[in-house]
Amino acid sequence: MNDELRRITLEEWDARYIELHRAGMAEPEYGGPLRRHVQDGDRRLLKLRFDNSPAALRLWNFLLTEEDRLHQARAGGKKIVGAMKDLGTVPVMAYSLRQLVAFYPDGAWWIPCVMELSAPVLSIADSLGIDESFCPVRAMLGAFLSGAHFPRPDLLICSVGATCDDFSAIAQRLNGLGYPILWWEIAQRRHPDPGEQAVELPGGFVAPEAQVSFVRSELERVRSVLEELSGTTLDDDALSSGIRRANEVRGLLGELRRVGFTADLCPLPALEMLIAEMLAIHFCSDQDETISVLRELLREVRARVKTRKGVLSEEAARIFWVNPVADLHVMNLLEDCGGRICGTEYLFSHALDEIPEGLSPMEALARMALADPMVGPAADRAARICSDIRAFGAEAVVISRIPGASHCATEGTVIGDLVRSELGIPVMEIEVPPVSDSVQPAIRTRLEAIIETAKELRKRCSAPA
Amino acid sequence: MKTIVYVCPFVPAEWIAAHGLRPRRLLLDSSKGSSPAGITSGVCPFARAFVNRVSGESEADAVVVTTVCDQMRRAAELIARDSALRAFLMNVPTTWQTAAAQKLYIAEVRRLGGFMVRLGGKAPSAQELAEVMREYDAARSAVRAARGQLSSRQYSEAIAVFNRDGAPPAASLRSGREARGVPLALLGGPLLASQFVIFDFVERAGGYIALDATETGERTMPSPFDRRLLRDNPLVELTNAYFGSIPDAFRRPNSQLYIWLRKEIGKRGVRGIIFQRYLWCDTWHAEVQRIREWAQMPLLDLDVGDEDAEDRTASRIQSFLAMLK
Repeated sequence: MNDELRRITLEEWDARYIELHRAGMAEPEYGGPLRRHVQDGDRRLLKLRFDNSPAALRLWNFLLTEEDRLHQARAGGKKIVGAMKDLGTVPVMAYSLRQLVAFYPDGAWWIPCVMELSAPVLSIADSLGIDESFCPVRAMLGAFLSGAHFPRPDLLICSVGATCDDFSAIAQRLNGLGYPILWWEIAQRRHPDPGEQAVELPGGFVAPEAQVSFVRSELERVRSVLEELSGTTLDDDALSSGIRRANEVRGLLGELRRVGFTADLCPLPALEMLIAEMLAIHFCSDQDETISVLRELLREVRARVKTRKGVLSEEAARIFWVNPVADLHVMNLLEDCGGRICGTEYLFSHALDEIPEGLSPMEALARMALADPMVGPAADRAARICSDIRAFGAEAVVISRIPGASHCATEGTVIGDLVRSELGIPVMEIEVPPVSDSVQPAIRTRLEAIIETAKELRKRCSAPA
Repeated sequence: MKTIVYVCPFVPAEWIAAHGLRPRRLLLDSSKGSSPAGITSGVCPFARAFVNRVSGESEADAVVVTTVCDQMRRAAELIARDSALRAFLMNVPTTWQTAAAQKLYIAEVRRLGGFMVRLGGKAPSAQELAEVMREYDAARSAVRAARGQLSSRQYSEAIAVFNRDGAPPAASLRSGREARGVPLALLGGPLLASQFVIFDFVERAGGYIALDATETGERTMPSPFDRRLLRDNPLVELTNAYFGSIPDAFRRPNSQLYIWLRKEIGKRGVRGIIFQRYLWCDTWHAEVQRIREWAQMPLLDLDVGDEDAEDRTASRIQSFLAMLK
């Protein structure tokens, strides 16, 4: 069996799967060849290139079988919570109760990409007046109404306030269609006024104590409805255990990012790293399995780094990526152009930072929720990005605009200006639609340009004075 | 006297005036202009107009921006970065059904007070605040009473003048003009000064705006103050009148808007809706179809970009009214 590390096509995975199977590869019950997901409609897989390890196979299968898990959970008597927008807070609370399982309907934003627009989620959104001027998360509306992509949750909880308008407006449209939603307020994080008591948040941001206290009270409302739904008490002990488990996931991801982004040779492709990071938000509907998947992935990455093996050239330009891409294929494209990911800010760095364990759990969760990079000034987010760029040694920044997203209208300028002035590295903005095939020549040209610039700067910096 | 400018109706003018400062709710002219919010894809024309106006503002001392929309929330950062004005970002909660949301609004009003004191204002006593509130209430009542005495455009302009100056227009609030034709509601976000021409287009086409439910119009006038509460706890009553009574699309849930519309549309015999929204304004855009289905009456969706020609707007309104007549 050829165990050379490389990114392979789905066709190559077909053959490799048979080889691995014959060699005795053990798989979890959701395992199987990736090809079967194409038969379910996930046609974008035919265009992607994947890491060829069993660990990556398990990661992909875990991701692509989430809907089955949600149905199984319901069949097993669990209640389903649809957490919306907060990206990382409410699921920690929900998974503290064994009667509940939580997921993000927001994740439907990748359906148009993964199914290459073959699912009618966007046309349903269109028919409800939510057209392409909105962020691709409008696909969520179509997913709810079609009922084809996830079971209808028993409870919907949505954070509003300092959030993007697209999501808030779409959630309100859903609410207007008869889907009850518990709205909870996440306040705009601000710097403490003179004389105001300040609290340091996970990740290093600072907020006034009064804001933390307000968010804590909002999360108390969430706690009450989760208790009501589950029929049990969500006490501090249960929450503390839930936080510890969430932190285990975050710790594994932190290590995966540190090892993966700082290695001389890129040990894991951008696409698999992106999917691994996404697990932090809601554990893909199975927290224990998330931990197992990440452990296996981390073992693989560590082994590759130890033996100095990588999936890309050592010359690859080290790119920091801002915002998730609506089309997964663009992560492949970056690598095809000679880049590699060395640092990311996919809108949810607060779901990667460890939740403080020395505090009361509700206080810790409130601090974590307020550390969301999207609820504060873009300059705060930019500062965090600069700090991570320094830690991971990125040489250039790509800001991936999300079509129609309200935050993308101005944040790129703020982030770009700060990165350039603090670090003097090139920054570029691109816009990635859910299926980017028609604009890929333009995106490719721009990616090649920034990669070339980054490599040129590297040469200049390493040249003798 | 120092001047504080803003555009959001959730900023209580009485609170600013009670601190000895001049509140000035801007009526913006145009979305065109230079940086910092340039012609970038995705930037709402109104948010751009606001940033450009405030960045070039020479007669004001500070600006208050609120969090009622994501683009304005982020605009505050651009203004603070690029303008000579001191900027205050006021957190207006999106939720409104809890005591915590109301408390947060009050806390933000108090924080605004601290900002104004640092700017040179003087914190008012409860009595002083109540006195200013009474004056505003009386002036607002005079403006409200002028409805029906003025043409629909004059009435909406009188509201805009009151919002800007804190007093009704100097000219008489009686024009003797009688509203004729098909009664319409004008609904949506704020109007630019140049968009008041919509009222004329409607009248020329055989209708009139019976209900100005835009952000610039009567929808965002705070409710009259309760006299007893005004005496006992003016700040709480100020909160009730602003945070507790102004219906808007951004609120979650935004059921108050629909309740208010149902009542006002019924009272005014409205037969059609002109829905005015800015390109990239998700909050109002997402309501268009819902309102169309809910209101069960014809609706004209006027999406306003940067380069909209008046002729196009006039012609669309003309066709809309031709259908209604």
